[in-house]
Amino acid sequence: MGLEPYLILAACLFTIGLFGVLTRRNAIGILLGIELMLNAVNVNLVAFARYGADSTGLVFTLFTISITVAEVAVGLAIVILIFRVRRTVEADHLDLLKG
Amino acid sequence: MSLEAAGFWGLALVLLASSLAVVLSKNLFHSVLYLALALVATAGVFLLLQSEFLAAVQILLYAGGVITIVVFAIVVTERLVGERLTQTNRGIISGGLVSLIILIAILFFVTRAKLPRAAPPLAGDLTETIGRDLLTRFLLPFELLAVLFLAALLGALYFARKEE
Amino acid sequence: MIDAVTLALVALGLPFCAFVLLAVVTPLRRAGRAAGALSIAAVGGSLLAALRLWWAGASMEAAWSWLPAESGPVATVGILMDHVSAVMLVLVALVSFLVQLYSLGYLEHETAPALGRYYAYHSLFAFSMIGLVLASNFLQMFIFWELVGLCSYLLIGFWYQKPEAARAAVKAFWTTKAGDLGFIIGIVLLWGQTGTFSFTQLFQMADDKTLPTAGLSLIMFLIYLGAVGKSAQFPLHVWLPDAMEGPTPVSALIHAATMVAAGVYLVTRTYPLFALTPDVLALIGWVGAFTALLAAVLGLVQSDIKRVLAYSTVSQLGYMMAALGAGAAGAGFFHLLTHGLFKALLFLGAGAVIHAVGTNDIWKMGRLFGVMPQTGIVFLVGTLALAGIWPLAGFFSKDAVLAGVWDGGLTVPFLMLALTVFLTAFYMFRVVFVVFFGDRHAEGQHPHDPPFVMGLPLWAPAGLTVGVGILLAGGGGGEAFHGPDWIPWLSSGLAVTGILFAWVTYQRQGVSAASLARAVGPLYTAALRQFWLDDLYAAIYRGVLLGLAWVVGWVDRYLVDGVVNLASAWTFRCGDRLRRIQTGRVQDYLRWVAVGVLLVIVWSYWR
Repeated sequence: MGLEPYLILAACLFTIGLFGVLTRRNAIGILLGIELMLNAVNVNLVAFARYGADSTGLVFTLFTISITVAEVAVGLAIVILIFRVRRTVEADHLDLLKG
Repeated sequence: MSLEAAGFWGLALVLLASSLAVVLSKNLFHSVLYLALALVATAGVFLLLQSEFLAAVQILLYAGGVITIVVFAIVVTERLVGERLTQTNRGIISGGLVSLIILIAILFFVTRAKLPRAAPPLAGDLTETIGRDLLTRFLLPFELLAVLFLAALLGALYFARKEE
Repeated sequence: MIDAVTLALVALGLPFCAFVLLAVVTPLRRAGRAAGALSIAAVGGSLLAALRLWWAGASMEAAWSWLPAESGPVATVGILMDHVSAVMLVLVALVSFLVQLYSLGYLEHETAPALGRYYAYHSLFAFSMIGLVLASNFLQMFIFWELVGLCSYLLIGFWYQKPEAARAAVKAFWTTKAGDLGFIIGIVLLWGQTGTFSFTQLFQMADDKTLPTAGLSLIMFLIYLGAVGKSAQFPLHVWLPDAMEGPTPVSALIHAATMVAAGVYLVTRTYPLFALTPDVLALIGWVGAFTALLAAVLGLVQSDIKRVLAYSTVSQLGYMMAALGAGAAGAGFFHLLTHGLFKALLFLGAGAVIHAVGTNDIWKMGRLFGVMPQTGIVFLVGTLALAGIWPLAGFFSKDAVLAGVWDGGLTVPFLMLALTVFLTAFYMFRVVFVVFFGDRHAEGQHPHDPPFVMGLPLWAPAGLTVGVGILLAGGGGGEAFHGPDWIPWLSSGLAVTGILFAWVTYQRQGVSAASLARAVGPLYTAALRQFWLDDLYAAIYRGVLLGLAWVVGWVDRYLVDGVVNLASAWTFRCGDRLRRIQTGRVQDYLRWVAVGVLLVIVWSYWR
């Protein structure tokens, strides 16, 4: 079928995730967008691994998934902490570093 | 159209639709569910690419673990619902514009590149290869990954502890 | 036997040491009369050295390198001694000595610290004037020129608490500075043309015809401007009458005999250069004659005795310059010497009168001859000399000037000078008759002859004036008279006519002074206002200078400061706007990251 469609699919997924990261108000929504972006990366890696006959891509994907899981766990822990302190998870309200 | 192609297009459709739903949904809980759907569809794509192991890992860890965690977080933080899109999204036009242009740029490169037209023949199940690689070629990253998990565990525990 | 260089240095150094001591050792200066004694002793020593030098007929030049450079020194300091500078040195030292002695009596009511300050200034002046006389090159002369101007400022403004005195001092300084500006420009231009400041070198070049004559007229005119300022030629004469705010001994020394003569001395000194530019000389002659006439007219209407003498000084300086301009440098210098003596005498006599009566106004004096006979006699001697009556020294020098101007072919200036002879006699004897004879107007005071300290400096110049005159009448010494025979008769006749006219008007009241004033009508009012020259200068100052200052101030405030303020305001505004990029929201930052990634992609494609 060709590598190209997979790459195009991954690119679309990536930009959709990017859009979500850039526009979502809720912090958790942003994290969901990040999930999508990482997911797209995985698709990319696996496609290249398949069409390039190299298993490195698959191992890399494994690592990516693992790290993503860890990152989500810690990130959500932080979100919960912020919620406890500031009673909000809206990204607009978290501007303590405002110049 | 071959079976692979049909499967690809179907899965691609589901994947894109659910991804869009994730970022455009007004209800956060719905977003999570759509994400779950997207992740499962991705697992399907992995199957199409004949990486069964990874498909299984995807479903187990992603669709299983990540979604669960996110659902819990949503429950704890209580802020879920908006009536209009602008209540859940901000700066749609500029964000969309930027994303669109990045998409066009990436596609530009992708379509220009010389990419293989057909998949090379598979040399059997790759699971064993993956396993062996993990413990030989990629041993160091593997061990570091373990350290990372430990750190993440401790960090999450610390953050989520009860306030005294 | 001390050699000439040492003597000259002694003459120069003694007043300088006195000045330094008085300036640095404050208790000495505060001691008043002790300071005076030191200063007088120093200038007395200079007088002796000067007399020795003159007697020996010394003629030499000494030079020491001052600003060394690769191809010979850029500037030297030195002493140039010839018969011109020798006799001028004697005049300066003698008059300084007499005036400083006189001041002990005149300023007896001053506080001791003020007196000490006075004598410190006097010593500085003596040093500066001697330095000017002995200068061997333009640069050195200019330095001492400026020093002398400084001393004039300090001494005119001696009673600085009086606002008129302070203003007069500043006016003197500014007006002479205008001339000095031309002077220094001329000096520098001359150096640019010839590469040297030294007089002897320049005279040599003039002699050998190697002096570049391109633009020489302009250069000599600029140098002459310095003399215009210092010697109170028209139109820079306005400072001299106001300078009378200073103590009378100061007026006698600086503004009669020595400093104002510096301009004439300059022209005399550098005459070989002026001789190469006949057009500048003609200008000098005309301006000199005009100044003489103008000042005489202005002197007619003054009621302050010192101002009459001041205008008389301006007038006589005009005589000297006219002679120089006509080509009779010797005559001009001769008149400088005799005038130095009798004008100092007149000022010191006026000082005695003022000291006794307590006012400068001649209409408040009268019939003083009876109570102050000594003063009256010496004043009369001085006046006769000024009017040019035989056989006093002034007669010979004035006739030499007239002859020189006539021989030089400047007819109209000659006529102006002749008229001035008449006017000089008239206004001086007006003063004599009103002050010493005539009706008694003074109330209350008990005028008396001055004490010895003031008396000696009165009799000495008087004696010298008579003595030199008799010497010249006998045909010996000094300048031999050469010129048309009718000139002595003309000048004597005009002078006697002037005296008679004054006698008729002021002593006999045969002709009323008021009707005379009415007869000349507008001229009289104009003369009273000094022909509005002071007002013109004030208007120029206020109008032009202050206007220019206002414009410059505006430019500075709005353009120069404006640019700076604008830049800083823009910086602040830009900073303020840019600050808003830091919203503190992660998503905004991510947006920028995405844009950055986009740019990287585009850039990598274009590469």
